[in-house]
Amino acid sequence: MADLQTYGQDSGLKHTLLRGLLYLVLILFSIYYLFPLFVMVTTSLKSLTEIREGTLISLPRVVTFDAWNYAWNEACVGVECSGIKTFFWNSVQMAVPAVLISTILGALNGYALTKFRFKGANIVFAMLLFGCFVPFQVVLLPMSVTLGKLGIANSTTGLVLVHVVYGLCFTTLFFRNYYVSIPDELVKAATIDGAGFFTIFWRIILPISGPIIVVSIIWQFTQIWNDFLFGASFSSGGSAPMTVALNNIVNTTTGVKQYNVDMAAALLTGLPTLLVYVLAGKYFVRGLTAGSVKG
Amino acid sequence: MASLTLDKVRKTFGSVEVLKEINLTIEDGEFLVLVGPSGCGKSTLLNLIAGLETSSDGEIRIGDRVINNVHPKDRNIAMVFQSYALYPNMTVRKNITFGLEIRGVSASERDKAVDDVAHLLQIENLLDRKPSQLSGGQRQRVAMGRALVRNPDIFLFDEPLSNLDAKLRVDMRTEIKKLHHRLGSTIVYVTHDQIEAMTLASRIAVMKGGILQQFDTPQHIYEKPNNMFVAGFIGSPSMNFIEAKLVDDNGRIAVTFDNNGQKVVLPLVADSPESYKSWVGKDVVFGIRPEGLTHKRTGSDQPGSQYVNFDAKVEVIEPTGADTMTVINLGGKEIVARVRPDRATNPGEMMTFSADMNQISLFDPTTELRI
Repeated sequence: MADLQTYGQDSGLKHTLLRGLLYLVLILFSIYYLFPLFVMVTTSLKSLTEIREGTLISLPRVVTFDAWNYAWNEACVGVECSGIKTFFWNSVQMAVPAVLISTILGALNGYALTKFRFKGANIVFAMLLFGCFVPFQVVLLPMSVTLGKLGIANSTTGLVLVHVVYGLCFTTLFFRNYYVSIPDELVKAATIDGAGFFTIFWRIILPISGPIIVVSIIWQFTQIWNDFLFGASFSSGGSAPMTVALNNIVNTTTGVKQYNVDMAAALLTGLPTLLVYVLAGKYFVRGLTAGSVKG
Repeated sequence: MASLTLDKVRKTFGSVEVLKEINLTIEDGEFLVLVGPSGCGKSTLLNLIAGLETSSDGEIRIGDRVINNVHPKDRNIAMVFQSYALYPNMTVRKNITFGLEIRGVSASERDKAVDDVAHLLQIENLLDRKPSQLSGGQRQRVAMGRALVRNPDIFLFDEPLSNLDAKLRVDMRTEIKKLHHRLGSTIVYVTHDQIEAMTLASRIAVMKGGILQQFDTPQHIYEKPNNMFVAGFIGSPSMNFIEAKLVDDNGRIAVTFDNNGQKVVLPLVADSPESYKSWVGKDVVFGIRPEGLTHKRTGSDQPGSQYVNFDAKVEVIEPTGADTMTVINLGGKEIVARVRPDRATNPGEMMTFSADMNQISLFDPTTELRI
């Protein structure tokens, strides 16, 4: 550390200028990206009159959480005026099972594809990988037919199934790449010790999969929570996820446009994914790079 | 404890035959070492015995029981892996008892078993640590403890020492040998290190290209290698090979070759095998180990001596302390002689060497087989 600082000092004026330029660019980009968030937060904390009188970038004179309260408890989604909170719980009921199921299935897939290599394992993996590149829109019609046949159209269960199926490709890819770097001898040793497929999975493989489980959960939670297309297509009315409800709040209000409520509702919708990333973010980067370097 | 029999065992991956008709039998309590260069099929053979891979043909028996279609866990074997393969999420104690737990052994019996093994391997103070907190040598001991605790019929070792540093490797080698003496267990041990093979084995199986080259006691393999591959692979520095000719030298069979325009004639000892006679007048490969080529021995001038003297120019000397390896050019090839340090000369000087004709091997130059 001390050595690095000495090197930094004797590089002269050119170095200082370049450093300055670098930081300038970084600061400009930060402002560019943070500005929308700043506008959203300040607007959501203003009253409607203040929004009308002030400018977009002015700080709120009186900070009020009325808009947040209104968005959560009273905002009208369609004809129902009980706020966004019921839809928040819809999203929770959809995202939590979908994330957990797709993560566990992905782990099982990755484990079977790497440690119990069966004939055609590579073809199965290639086809699963292909699933990552199928656009959402392509599966809309066949999926709605399937959900109808299964009798779970317009339900949270249906949405969970859709997200599990769609997320499986990604979670399998994550776990497969992670497990490739785990030595096969571990599984061989456990086999000789007498453990079977699932015992090895639960007792040995899963306990050392921490980093990649975090990656899978963050990735899947972000995808599923933020999804709008599947939510709008395969649910209606009271079973819609939060993203769909947010759209309805913003687009269907009559009379005066309540910008502060719209902003508060949008922030509420975005908060859970932000929270997950803040809490587990450092594991995310660690997990993504874990497979790349052996040892 | 049990004997092990491999009867015409073959293994193919697709169209590639990695093991060709392996026949091996070891008795109860023997220490078999499978040795050979990388890709010779020794690890595959070990995996077949372990049941981690299935043989394409042939029969594998432990005792009288055919185990070809028996699951690894029911073969009553234990294996130590090159990477140790300790379960990283479990403590040493858990690692050692995992196999017992899976087999439904009661907790009190497990505790007793782990205490016994820990005492034997002197790892009592490590039992509550995780593998990541152990050094290489300690991991090695734990891996052996995991195998020992099960008290299996056969122990399988897959290059267990190759990840250790040189000093520790020698120590652990001795320890494995001691353990074998104490337990009297049947062991199959894979290595590419011929010194490990020589020091540990009661019998060695030398393999190359999926073919069993020779299966015998270490001393016999060292003294009477079946072919030039075995001769060159076992022993360090390896055996010297000189292209030569067998001739009749006044009624005695002799090896002769050209050395920088001079003819070197080395008469064989009187009790040489009869089979050599049919090779008189033909080309052979003359093989002699470095310790068979020494400084001039006392009594080597007497008629009928097993030692034959010749002169050669010293090219390079490599002192090892106990002996000085002296490189000479003989018959157009670099040949290593093992000379007592006080008898060694400097590079560039001429020196008289004695060849011990009791320690020679002759090979067929086309088939490379021992004559």
